[in-house]
Amino acid sequence: MANMREIRIRMKSIQDTMKITNAMYLISSSKLKKARKVLDDTMPYFVTLQKTIHDILLHSPDISHAYFDKRELKPKENKKKAYIVITADKGLAGGYNHNVIKLAEQEMAKSKHNILFAVGQVGRQYFQRKKEEMANDFFYTNYNPTRYRARCITETIIDGFNKGEIDEVYMVYTKMVTPMKAEAEVIQLLPLSQGEFVSMEKEEYKHFAEYSPSPQVVMNHLVPNYIKGFIYGAMVEAFSAEQHARMTAMQSATDSAKDMIRQLSLLYNRARQAAITQEINEVVSGAGSEDR
Amino acid sequence: MSKTFDLKIVASDRDFFEGKSEMIILPAIDGNHGVMAQHESMVTAIQAGEVRFQVDGEWKIAALGDGFAEIMPDYVVVVVDTAEWPEEIDVRRAEEARERAEERLRSKQALMEYYHSKAALSRAMARLKVTKKVR
Repeated sequence: MANMREIRIRMKSIQDTMKITNAMYLISSSKLKKARKVLDDTMPYFVTLQKTIHDILLHSPDISHAYFDKRELKPKENKKKAYIVITADKGLAGGYNHNVIKLAEQEMAKSKHNILFAVGQVGRQYFQRKKEEMANDFFYTNYNPTRYRARCITETIIDGFNKGEIDEVYMVYTKMVTPMKAEAEVIQLLPLSQGEFVSMEKEEYKHFAEYSPSPQVVMNHLVPNYIKGFIYGAMVEAFSAEQHARMTAMQSATDSAKDMIRQLSLLYNRARQAAITQEINEVVSGAGSEDR
Repeated sequence: MSKTFDLKIVASDRDFFEGKSEMIILPAIDGNHGVMAQHESMVTAIQAGEVRFQVDGEWKIAALGDGFAEIMPDYVVVVVDTAEWPEEIDVRRAEEARERAEERLRSKQALMEYYHSKAALSRAMARLKVTKKVR
């Protein structure tokens, strides 16, 4: 019966797809384990880094330095904004890429002069199709983040900022809110703004910190270091979120494939039973007519 | 016993050290900085080099990467890219890295690469320096 064959072909194709999704599930869950370990190791650094920087800025309210310069001389609409957007290299990760890209587009709609630093293939290809302005020679992936890659990205950004090609730098990445929940987030990297840093923490020391040898020299080292640390931390977090998103997406794909196969096998058995019944009917009625 | 302060050294891949210390000597960008408890509050940038700190009268030694330190009267936070105990450092690897960096410095290339090589060289030198003292 044609219907039976159709169902069988359908089941076969679902089974094959399920094999792929299941394999991807297993791969991403083992990658997630690794990524999460790196994340756990990096988290204390990431938190201390931010806390210490906030602390330092809290103690030095009126510092003037290039990295704090809001460039107010430039009219607001002429300012060039750079966005570092971290996406995956591959799709099939549920809403992971989509969320980051959507948030980036939302942010970019606010101003006319944007330049994109896309980390990861999916984001780069998407924005290339959209004909957004992309940075030249910026080909980085977010697979297994390394400090070396963070250093290279930081140098590109800092260089552009110092030359005045970029006025503001934002980072769009996925943050792990809890181990089970990830959210896309935008953070302003440059210029550093003290306003944001005046946090709820109570001030322990009223006097202000000294800088050795001088505020300029310290900030020249400290800010790039902070940005490098931040980019590294964000990359690690995004990578972990990516694996997590892919794992859950693949798990639900496998589950629904199983569901479909169960329903189809029910249909298949019914069709088979109907075919057998009909055949028996035919045989019986054929035998009956011979008797007569 | 002398006065102590809370010392915290955080590297980008782990919490390196946390505890009481009597004194720390940091490799700052303008030379070594010795810090004891009740030091005036200060912020300084750290260059790849060796750090020494005293815990219960015993001096500990480690290799640090680039970073910065926040010094307050009762605590010191050191945030760096890397931090390693002498016994964790692979001398051969560091030796090779030094040779590579020196080789690259000799064949002076683009300015950016020059800085990369210089940073790599100082990291390798810091590691080797720390291990030499111990072994």
